[in-house]
Amino acid sequence: MNIEEKLSVLNYKTDPTYEHITVNPSICEVCPDNFCTFACPASCYKMIDGKLNFKYEDCVECGTCFVACSHGSVKWTNPKGSQGIKYKLG
Amino acid sequence: MVLEIVVMVKQVPDSQEVVIDPVTMNLNRSLTRNVTNKADENALEAALSIKDKTPAKITIVSMGPPQTESTMIECLARGADRAVLVSDRAFGGADTYPTGLTVASAISKLEHFDVIIAGEESSDSSTGHVGPGVAEFLGIEQITYCSKIEYSKGHITAERELEDGTEVVRCPVPVLITMLLGSNFPRRQSLRRKIDATKKGIELWNLEKLGLQPEWVGVRGSPTIVRRMQSIKERERAGKRITIETIPEMVKELYEKNILKVKK
Amino acid sequence: MSEFDAIVVGAGPAGTSAASKMASSGLNVLLVERGDPPGSKSVSGGILWGRELSNLYPDWEKSAPLERFISNKVTGFLTEDSYVGIDFKTKKFEREKTGYSVLRTRLDGWMAKKAKEAGATVITGITVDGLAWEDKKVVGIRQADDTITSDVVVLAEGANPRVAIDEGLRAPISDKDVAIGIKQVVKLSEQTINERFNLRNGAGLAAEFSLGFLKNGVMAGGFLYTNKDTISAGVVIDIAGLRKDNKTYSFDIMDQFINHPYIAPYLENGQLQEYSAHLVCEGGINYVPKLYGNGYVIAGDSAGLSFSNGMVIQGMNYAIASGISAAKAAVKCKEKGHYGESDLAYYDELMQHSQAIEDMRKFKGITGVTWSPMIHEFLPKFAENVLHDMFYETGEPKKHLFEIAMENLIGSRYDKKKLLLESYRMMRKM
Repeated sequence: MNIEEKLSVLNYKTDPTYEHITVNPSICEVCPDNFCTFACPASCYKMIDGKLNFKYEDCVECGTCFVACSHGSVKWTNPKGSQGIKYKLG
Repeated sequence: MVLEIVVMVKQVPDSQEVVIDPVTMNLNRSLTRNVTNKADENALEAALSIKDKTPAKITIVSMGPPQTESTMIECLARGADRAVLVSDRAFGGADTYPTGLTVASAISKLEHFDVIIAGEESSDSSTGHVGPGVAEFLGIEQITYCSKIEYSKGHITAERELEDGTEVVRCPVPVLITMLLGSNFPRRQSLRRKIDATKKGIELWNLEKLGLQPEWVGVRGSPTIVRRMQSIKERERAGKRITIETIPEMVKELYEKNILKVKK
Repeated sequence: MSEFDAIVVGAGPAGTSAASKMASSGLNVLLVERGDPPGSKSVSGGILWGRELSNLYPDWEKSAPLERFISNKVTGFLTEDSYVGIDFKTKKFEREKTGYSVLRTRLDGWMAKKAKEAGATVITGITVDGLAWEDKKVVGIRQADDTITSDVVVLAEGANPRVAIDEGLRAPISDKDVAIGIKQVVKLSEQTINERFNLRNGAGLAAEFSLGFLKNGVMAGGFLYTNKDTISAGVVIDIAGLRKDNKTYSFDIMDQFINHPYIAPYLENGQLQEYSAHLVCEGGINYVPKLYGNGYVIAGDSAGLSFSNGMVIQGMNYAIASGISAAKAAVKCKEKGHYGESDLAYYDELMQHSQAIEDMRKFKGITGVTWSPMIHEFLPKFAENVLHDMFYETGEPKKHLFEIAMENLIGSRYDKKKLLLESYRMMRKM
């Protein structure tokens, strides 16, 4: 099972009106390490054609990227209300 | 004069959590939690957006077991004013006919109503009967499958999505509307409102309060009888998530999967 | 006049314990949780050790949603080819149950229900945006345009405490403070689990491994915990090592662990029910912030209260204990009618003498050992080689264990002086 298949068993209540994590493209553009792409357990951060691609929809709200980014690009907030990941076992 | 809006809601199992038990191959509901039916959230949002412009009072009406309270409190936290849960063992096992009758009776027991808004259908039984049924029992007009509604001077103007365009219907109140799933973005719950609702609680109405006979409701009042249940063995799914970034990639993927064919 | 005596942010073990204890002592309590239902944002570390819950609910072992009591504890090393483990089973654990595997949606849901029964107003599905301040005193919480006031706010947000960080009540998180926890819950029948792990009558296994097969200074631990009819398998990854390597994906480490030749058979034919990730507090005593201030206290993971020495990992019991202590302080403040900083210092006083802080103080500097190449690189390989050489029948004359060990030590590419030093450190700190 690859990571995408694993994430597909999860119950997400995606909030289309609020991205709880945002990145600053001008910082990411010149990022020397892209450590977020290695650290994020849900593979929300990916390099595509040399550019960082981030999708908040797959986020499991662990907070890893907030710690991983040492360049101050990641702005981390909790999703609003009961939106976002909804674990059934925890 | 305050516009009296009734919103019909239902609590349903979270469809994303209904899983097939790998051992028994039956639906495993042990991990399934209940949520508010999505289309009903759209119905409530439609009501709230009317209330944003016109002085209105929104009453939530639901029929279901006592745990439906959490759904009702959620509705109050989003901005509804009153919540009435019709709950009685006698209502158990009802098909859409007595459900419509029961909900209609509850609504007729309210002091007054101008507009009733329901979701197009529930995600667990998908009949779409109950909204129209309530309109029939109450003997009022109905506009179904609306994508947008507005209220002005005693009339509802509704947009209905048709295959080849949009139909705009104008109708004087009282009228029952059913809203399409996903027709709007439900607003968020307010902590202040949720605290107040939790402390105040909701109104519980039983069979006696509605003045209905036990044989009219629940399983006894249901004309449909389920003869047989067949569990269908689920086809093995690939369970694969494909990440596609560009349109050419997507075309290629669909072509390779034999979904997209080249016309010769 | 505040609307509530106390507002608790977060309905995990710390928050629900605090809310329950305060409410049952007559305080007017609001408990706010962003997950709906409680626990739907939580990830269990695996085992609830200790008996803290009995302080709140004497009958907890009967009424709480516990999975299995731990009768079998395994600590070991995994290398590419080998499994070296200490497999400890004892009837003593069956008599004096000391730890239970738990799943958090169930545990947190139950604890929130208990808090509600104790009289707390429990609100779920709402995210607290921040704190409300007045004259440098916390006077409540903010959500959207609303302020809800209280005499004290208990921050129990978990390992990623947004409110505490954003309000400047604790330092932002650094590589040394947390590790990345990743977990998979795999469904198997209760019987299959009993057979695979040789378990009976509700007994369970807790296993922790150091993953010696990882390369380039990447360090991680792996764990297996048996639940009733599922197995929790996961990894805890050191962020500093992962960052230095900058080539290994965290989720690949998870895969490597569950596909290890001696782990995979345990999970075979299991159906993946959940994949989850969560930060794991690892910072030790240095990561614990000032626990209290004017009108607020911090409890549980938000306060960095967790412990790991490689053999024992604890967090939920500290959370419960800190929640209860926070409640005791709030109750005392209520009696005095004053919730100033010096009044809430009572919480700190209780905590300084608690098992949590005493453990953490005693094992100060342990993270330097648990996340050392000694544990994650040298020892797994060394143990594998020594055991291999000892049990492998070559037909040659046999050697003493000491001889084999020395050969492997000399043959290893580690700096001998450093090894000696690290071994000494390990014996002292562990």
